[in-house]
Amino acid sequence: MLNYVWSGLIIFSLIFALAVDSQELVENRFRNDTPMPVTVAFPEGYAPDARRQPVRIQIGPSQYKEFFGVDAAPAPSYEGTLLQTKSGRQLQFSTEGSLPEPLSTIRSFHESDDNPALRGTLAKVASLSPSTQRVETAVQFEPVHFRKLNAIAEAALNFAETAASLALGLIGILGLMLGLVKIGEEAGLVHALADTVQPLLSPLFPNVPDGHPALANVTLNLLANVFGLGNAATPLGIKAMEDLQDLNPDDETATDDMVMLLALNTSSVQLVPPSLLVAIMGLQINQLIFSITLATFFSTIAGILGALVLSKLPWFRATAPHRLADATDDD
Amino acid sequence: MLESIRSAVSILSYFVLPALLVGFPLYGLIKGVRVYEVFVEGAKEGFDVAVTIIPYLIAILFAIGMFRASGAMDFLVNALDPVLGAIGVPAEVVPMGIVRPLTGSGSAGVVADMINQYGEDSLIVKMAATMFGSTETTFYVIAVYFGAVNIRDTRHAVPAGLFADLVGFLASVYVVRLLFG
Repeated sequence: MLNYVWSGLIIFSLIFALAVDSQELVENRFRNDTPMPVTVAFPEGYAPDARRQPVRIQIGPSQYKEFFGVDAAPAPSYEGTLLQTKSGRQLQFSTEGSLPEPLSTIRSFHESDDNPALRGTLAKVASLSPSTQRVETAVQFEPVHFRKLNAIAEAALNFAETAASLALGLIGILGLMLGLVKIGEEAGLVHALADTVQPLLSPLFPNVPDGHPALANVTLNLLANVFGLGNAATPLGIKAMEDLQDLNPDDETATDDMVMLLALNTSSVQLVPPSLLVAIMGLQINQLIFSITLATFFSTIAGILGALVLSKLPWFRATAPHRLADATDDD
Repeated sequence: MLESIRSAVSILSYFVLPALLVGFPLYGLIKGVRVYEVFVEGAKEGFDVAVTIIPYLIAILFAIGMFRASGAMDFLVNALDPVLGAIGVPAEVVPMGIVRPLTGSGSAGVVADMINQYGEDSLIVKMAATMFGSTETTFYVIAVYFGAVNIRDTRHAVPAGLFADLVGFLASVYVVRLLFG
């Protein structure tokens, strides 16, 4: 099951990314080969020899709408820098402030660690002199394609790195919690309430005879879950399962009692949160323990009712080991 | 009524961790446990657990990360929202509901991813964390427990476990809305 969910996530990511990318290519959403018309204003006049000079970039709202075919409207003007090199003039938008779509997407696609700004090559301008105040021109951005394909590859690398550093960051709190519950385990916390809880569980396990050790182990297993003693819970659960198996007339088919144990186990009330959750959520766990305890209250009831009702359905009733054994006894 | 419950929870919540931090050692002390040595012994496992979950976290986080980055997650959320929104369930928590019964460490990864995405204080993260705490890795438990005694026909164990998970999932959503909404 997990195999399918997991590979489904990965394969579907690729398919989805390819679909989005090819749609963008077909629509030419980013106008990859066409320069965008802009007006560049020089507040202090054009400086022919400056490698960098501050400019204001103005984009006509209606022109912008028509050019990209979007509803987003640009701001009246943007701060920017004009870079002049031998190979030509580059227009660079300031990194401060937000850009309208799809410019912000173009920016994030091309941004690198050392230059996060949106930049493009300025079209040839016939005449620029120190007296020029403003010039209408156009700017050609680097083409954007296979944006999502790039994004999923990047995400995979980033998240793999996050996973490892996240886990290592949990060591401290995990150690603290596991140390605490170990004390609870050694102190016999699960035994403290066993005598009170055991009679309550007895009606749920009708095939366990009075005084049989199975019920004691079932109780200890469930209490270990309640107190968050995960390490102790599993061996106790297996012990309880072995006891129930001893009572099972059929070696390969689960009894109603076994299913009840599982249903209680997977839904059991939690008073102490799991250590891993404490490590991830930190102080938030203070509040969450209330929602967890309350939610487990409902899921425990659901687990009990689910196991009881399903065991009465003809489909499952037909295979119940104890019932079959009783029927053979009658013959 | 609701207001007084909420304020009671917010006051009581200050006592939760301190009660755990002091309660366990104190109880151990009363029971005659060598608390310091036992604590250290237990804490040693912190490193092992953290290292053990790394491969699971990598597996789930990178797959979810790709799914998110491709835009498929937004698509899924938008598609499910009209249906789930009607019963008050945010579509963003659905991945948690799917992953939780399958893998414990992996669903810890999902919570971590959601903290990254929606912020630690968001209701969505609280719901996901409540789901993590309130249900077990059903398929794993079934495999381990029945595997230990060689049961082949598990009968109604899977549907009963998943039904409890579903109720736990919905209860987490509504309880979080009730207590913190």
